[in-house]
Amino acid sequence: MKLRVLTAVVAALAVTLVGCSGKATEGKADGEGEGGIKTGPGVSSSTISLGVLTDMTGVYASLGKSVTQAQQLWVKQTNDAGGICDRKIELTVRDHGYDPQKAIAAYTELVPDVAGFAQFIGSPFVAAVEQRIDGQDKGLVLPQAWSANLLGSPYIRVIGATYDVETINLIDYLLAEKRIAKGDKIGHVYFEGDYGENALVGSKHAAKEAGLTVVEQKIKPTDNDMTAQVAALKQAGVKAVIVSAGPRQAASLVGVAAATGFNVPVVGNNSAFAPQLLKTQAGPALLKDYYVASSTLPIGDPGDGPAKLAKEYAAQYPKDVLDNGVVAGYTAASLFGEALTKACDDKDLTREGIDKALLTIKGYGTEFGVTHDFSDPKAPSTRESVIMKPDAGAAGGLKVVRPAEVAPAAESFTTGS
Amino acid sequence: MSDTTAETPAVPATSVRGGGPESLTDRLRSPRTYAVLIGSLLLLALPFYLDRFWLQAGLFAMAAAIGAIGLNMLTGATGQLSMGHAFFLAVGAYGYCVLAGESSTENGHTLNGLGLPTWLAAILAVLLAGAAGGIFSPIAGRLRGAYLGIATLALIFIGQHILFNAGSLTGGYNGRAVPPLSVFGFTFDDSELVVAAVPFGSSEKLWYAGLLALLLSALFARGVLRGRPGRAMNAIRDHRIAAGVMGVPVARYRAGVFVLSSMYAGLAGVLLALVFQRTVPEYFGMILSLEYLAMIVIGGLGSVAGAVIGAAFVSLLPQVFTHYSDSLPLVSAPGTGGLAPGEASRYLYGAAVVAVVLFLPGGLARLGLARTKKPKNPAVPKQPAAPKNPGEKS
Repeated sequence: MKLRVLTAVVAALAVTLVGCSGKATEGKADGEGEGGIKTGPGVSSSTISLGVLTDMTGVYASLGKSVTQAQQLWVKQTNDAGGICDRKIELTVRDHGYDPQKAIAAYTELVPDVAGFAQFIGSPFVAAVEQRIDGQDKGLVLPQAWSANLLGSPYIRVIGATYDVETINLIDYLLAEKRIAKGDKIGHVYFEGDYGENALVGSKHAAKEAGLTVVEQKIKPTDNDMTAQVAALKQAGVKAVIVSAGPRQAASLVGVAAATGFNVPVVGNNSAFAPQLLKTQAGPALLKDYYVASSTLPIGDPGDGPAKLAKEYAAQYPKDVLDNGVVAGYTAASLFGEALTKACDDKDLTREGIDKALLTIKGYGTEFGVTHDFSDPKAPSTRESVIMKPDAGAAGGLKVVRPAEVAPAAESFTTGS
Repeated sequence: MSDTTAETPAVPATSVRGGGPESLTDRLRSPRTYAVLIGSLLLLALPFYLDRFWLQAGLFAMAAAIGAIGLNMLTGATGQLSMGHAFFLAVGAYGYCVLAGESSTENGHTLNGLGLPTWLAAILAVLLAGAAGGIFSPIAGRLRGAYLGIATLALIFIGQHILFNAGSLTGGYNGRAVPPLSVFGFTFDDSELVVAAVPFGSSEKLWYAGLLALLLSALFARGVLRGRPGRAMNAIRDHRIAAGVMGVPVARYRAGVFVLSSMYAGLAGVLLALVFQRTVPEYFGMILSLEYLAMIVIGGLGSVAGAVIGAAFVSLLPQVFTHYSDSLPLVSAPGTGGLAPGEASRYLYGAAVVAVVLFLPGGLARLGLARTKKPKNPAVPKQPAAPKNPGEKS
């Protein structure tokens, strides 16, 4: 009896096996939708899906949250205004918690069903799937990381100045303000890994151009107390310090330096600040002599772009902190939107079409103070940096002290060398 | 608890239900044979139907299963706690990359590689992980239980430091690319191969390699656990001195099992690297070691099936949660506030560990066994008493 049932089951299974699989290569080619618009993966006649690979539970949780919510806000606004190409935009969000296995799994999961990725946090993971992006998937990916290592791929496009260029601009600011001069020593505290190492390339270049000497202090992301580094830099007699690390390290460094009477200007890359820092004990010291560079205006800037975004974001997410992740996320999403709009005009919403459309975008992003040019995948989209200073009164805790500008040393610098 | 301890009191029962000499007709009558047959057919057919996402999830589970089998032999069967499993996974993964990769420059790092044939590199990487275990084995042979756990903790920190700083071997923070495996001219890469109208990419091809690796490792481990060495290992776990008195060379066994388990970890590392297509140092940290321990506790200590079930549970659960986060109650899509799928799965397997320890000391594997075998054999229901064994805590 049982045997017969089992035989039947086996037979039934065998029949299914012989039957056709949904994976067979049919209907995978790019289709032609109504209105003669070619469509690719992730684009249907009514929607365009974009992927978001973010970190909401890992080390970049606060950044990931701001960036993602800003992108969701952009999607809502775009859809309310009628969408792009008569299609609604849809975001599929995956939180990888800064875990490589989850990040790669999430990429694999989403890639067949999206036109591209409006956000991808974690440069090691972007590097991990780079071969697949360049080789087969060819979808546009906008990483939230600014390492020069990510340049060069026609599909992975960094928005803004890379860390090396940004660091050169920071040093240029110090020179211009006459805080340091030829022959001086400058300290550079940086994270191991590509963020810090890329910034170090920049500071070395700028130092060579300006006749400075760099005193290096390499730290780990888990080092939170900068006392030893401050002591070493003080000993070395540096005239200024660059921080290419996280907000905590920057706060510790500035706080310890102030407490020990080591009064030199401290400058940091865009990731070395968070508005929450101003409420800590290091707050007063940060307000005094700390500067941050970024490729966008701060969210608290009185300019039209940031002010409008800050208002809308605060209306949508009243409980959440306004920080620069909001601007970064919104810029990335709207850039993707711009590429989609152009691709729509060319009647080609395939992945190639979107990539091609992005290459034609120049002079973009002026409402956030920096002009981007996406026509060359090998160069950063801009070499300009806005220099900002903490300000307890402004939303997001930053105000501009020098508008977007390119340092002469950054102009001549070739990235990735 | 282990298969073997559980089975020893029930030896007569075992021979009745299918372990001992049995005729072909007996086997043909047992539903188990068909279950195994159908299961293996299904596993073989899956690449034709599943998306790359699920195949990749399955491959992660297979790699985890191989690693967990190794850890289960050490921790479950011999009672030696190891927190350093992630380190040996890293040795396997990076060993393969260095042995098989060509020297090159990437992002300003000069990468060294030996450029060996990839199949040879895979084997050598496993041996390398074994050698790394061998170097540590004088310590592993002398320390017992929790003390070994603390000693192996050091391996994780040493490993992380090396992975981040030996840039010319490991590629530093961003890791290094993994050369695709190639056996007799057949390459497990993304170049498309169409089989029965289904395009085969790297995941589909690797699926079969993974299955084969898992099958061989499981059979080998079963052989070890069921044979003389397995009994000796259990004896060491249950009572070290008694085992010694009975003539088991305790230190040598401990050291040997440690080497064997690190070779399993090495193989898991090679497979993982092939699936990832890039090795990243972040991955091989403390959390990974803890996940492996969770796998064997949830699945069932000391048995091969337990390790495999636990590995599948722990590595597939987060994927299932994320994939179906839209349709699951309580779990919200990321970015909308509420419980993120990643967190949900973490809570769930935290709860699973507690539940298993409290109510199912034999792990999930025991659950399946009890259900299928209870009606057939009245002697079995007594078995849940076996886990009260003192060996559990040593």
